[in-house]
Amino acid sequence: MSEQHTPPGTELDPKLLEILVCPVTKGPLNYDRERGELISEKAGLAYPVRDGIPIMLVDEARKIDD
Amino acid sequence: MTKDVGRSKHSDGGKGVPGPFDRAVLRQRRLRAAPRFTDHDFLFREIATRLDERLSEITRSFNRVLVIGNQGGIAADLAARRYGQAEVVRTDLDRGLLRCGAGRAVVADDEALPFADGAFDLAISLLGLHWVNDLPGTLIQLRRALRPDGLLLAAFLGGETLRELRQAFLEAETAVEGGVSPRVSPFVDVRTAGSLLQRAGFALPMVDVDSLTVTYENAFALMRDLRGMGETNALIDRRRSLSRRDTVFAMAEVYAARHAGADGRIPATFDVLYLTAWSPHESQPRPLAPGSARTSLGDVLGKKTDD
Repeated sequence: MSEQHTPPGTELDPKLLEILVCPVTKGPLNYDRERGELISEKAGLAYPVRDGIPIMLVDEARKIDD
Repeated sequence: MTKDVGRSKHSDGGKGVPGPFDRAVLRQRRLRAAPRFTDHDFLFREIATRLDERLSEITRSFNRVLVIGNQGGIAADLAARRYGQAEVVRTDLDRGLLRCGAGRAVVADDEALPFADGAFDLAISLLGLHWVNDLPGTLIQLRRALRPDGLLLAAFLGGETLRELRQAFLEAETAVEGGVSPRVSPFVDVRTAGSLLQRAGFALPMVDVDSLTVTYENAFALMRDLRGMGETNALIDRRRSLSRRDTVFAMAEVYAARHAGADGRIPATFDVLYLTAWSPHESQPRPLAPGSARTSLGDVLGKKTDD
């Protein structure tokens, strides 16, 4: 079976990390393991990972101040 | 309610494109329907079976499957059953909508997909695209997410879907309120869908429509079922004020008077559009570019006279 259980918490499945991009810029994402966030430098947004599920919505992303 | 309206501004990925559908409200409607979705998923299961039939006619197998719109995991489970070794990724607007289904879950919006180019070889959408504000934009994103020779398979409501309800509301509103407002969302027809696929850069696009008639005890039962499917908002335009009770009752009366059968039950039409299209690949048949011919017709004809 192809069914896989996503790991708990903010741990992100490496298979997902391979194929995810920023939904706004379609640019690459950096995975911040400690914060459990996927960072889009270009968009200035950090997408959270909750219960192992990446939340790829602009509405729910944290704006990165620089 | 006001909070939803505020959020909807960002539901297009921040581009500020206005559209008829409020994605934040869709999310809320689906979440509300989620706990009892299996009581109302008849249409989804029926159409999933027909999508599966289409897949059965395609001899090749698929390894990386994207399902946009989870719908109780019906399509993801179908893909996992048919392609046992495949890696399935399924999306929806909220974690609470992704509890069931095979494969890995990602919260994402059909209008702003977060997937790398060529990440999948099969993309499936089960009754979701009639909710998308920018259908050409979503189709382009799906085509990009597919590797060359990848397949898009989608079923969504279009054409004359819920024409009886539309007509009954129209008559009731004219009679009760002295004016009309759009209640049922505008739908894409077959020809438009075909040209959208082509414009999105898909090869070998195919669109066909399948009309399903579901009968209900009365218009209230139909409305209840639509709500249970999480589809009310897609199909019936939300108004700032609640529908007047007498309008809704008048609508139900008109519906029954116009459409009820001998057994008193009312029919509801669902026109399902099926899209099948491939991301371009050199192995696919296609017409040659004008002027690219290597042999002139004159040469061929000339040769013949020499014989």
